[in-house]
Amino acid sequence: MRNLLNFLLKYNNLIVFLILEGIALYWLTAGNSYHNSRMVKTMQGVTRGMEVRFSNIRSYLNLREINENLAAENNALRNRIGRITSPDNLKFVSVNDSQFRQQYNYISSRLINNSVNKQKNFFTLDKGRRQGIEVDMAVAEGENVAGVIVGCSENFSVAISLINLDFRLSARIKSNGYFGSLSWDGRNYRHALLNEIPQHINVVEGDTVETTGYSAIFPEGMLIGRVSDIKKSGSDFYNITIELFTDFKKLQYVNVIGNLKRTEQLGLENQLQ
Amino acid sequence: MINSVLRFSAIIVILILLQVLVLNNIQFSGFVNPYVYIMIVLLLPSLTPAWLVLSVSFLSGLVIDLFSGSPGMHASATLLAGFSRQYVLRLISPRDGYESGSDLSMAAYGFRWFVTYTAVIVLIHHTALFFLEVFRFTDFFRTIFRILLSSFFTIGFILLIERYRKGR
Repeated sequence: MRNLLNFLLKYNNLIVFLILEGIALYWLTAGNSYHNSRMVKTMQGVTRGMEVRFSNIRSYLNLREINENLAAENNALRNRIGRITSPDNLKFVSVNDSQFRQQYNYISSRLINNSVNKQKNFFTLDKGRRQGIEVDMAVAEGENVAGVIVGCSENFSVAISLINLDFRLSARIKSNGYFGSLSWDGRNYRHALLNEIPQHINVVEGDTVETTGYSAIFPEGMLIGRVSDIKKSGSDFYNITIELFTDFKKLQYVNVIGNLKRTEQLGLENQLQ
Repeated sequence: MINSVLRFSAIIVILILLQVLVLNNIQFSGFVNPYVYIMIVLLLPSLTPAWLVLSVSFLSGLVIDLFSGSPGMHASATLLAGFSRQYVLRLISPRDGYESGSDLSMAAYGFRWFVTYTAVIVLIHHTALFFLEVFRFTDFFRTIFRILLSSFFTIGFILLIERYRKGR
């Protein structure tokens, strides 16, 4: 209290000055509409600046939610486009055509999940049973083999990737027509192995490897890769390494290929075995 | 003492009337407004307590405001001048200090001292006043120009009055 009084005594001039100046300035801003409006405007300018900064921060924090909303909206629109345009219509048209000559049915699709770094790689497509995709359809990127559908839900399907230890495909060397079995050794996602090519055959580095069509999954003559390394092993067969045409790391848009006469073919084969 | 109070009351009234009735009605080309009433702050005796200086300057500014319809402007500017008076006096004090109870006049402390004193206080007052009037810093140099020009005329008027006062 004593200190307070001392303080007040010491600075009494300043305090009187500040009080009176405050009164005068209050009078100034209250009495003059011009000064008043400028004061208010300045205050608003300050608060608005802070307001803008805060809203910027807030919008930044909301980006994730906005992104999700946009993605949802995008997909909704895309679905609408999809409903209007090709795939569903294609299904009807092609099924009708299959009564005539069409054997293979193409459905374009997009990868929504993918992996290349596991031993058993799968990828997920954004279309399913409702869009005409079924199990055991082939998946290709353009003309290049990518995988085989192994599971379908209403709107999604999962395909086993070519770079999966369980993947087997009958393949042949284009130049001479000898066929073998294609598999992946789990090492490099750019390379696969072609087995069961007998050693008496002349295989050259750079030979193209393609599908045979024996499995009734892939059409005949789809491209797989190029022979990049040939090793003779102790057995009767070469160890052929193939550089794959499909780059699974950037796989995005694929065609799902359905064989419309597969049931017929398999039925006949089963009947005779 | 009573005599002194009466004398200064008379000075205050005269200066305010001079300002309100005469000088406020003079228009030198729109730029120049001499505010001679600031002399009230200048002339108060050196021993006047600070709170009294502040009160007098505030009240005289208030009166000028009331007459010229500019609420708060002159009051705050004159108050600032009154507040800075003690520091200005300390800053430019003559070698022997101020004689107790003496008038702060040209006669007592010389022309040079009085001009310095007047100029500093007037500049402080006018700067505050003109910036409060425009209430923004755009057209900064235009405002500065007005301040300098008006200060020049105010100082001239004050010196003239002081000389006349002394002559009496």
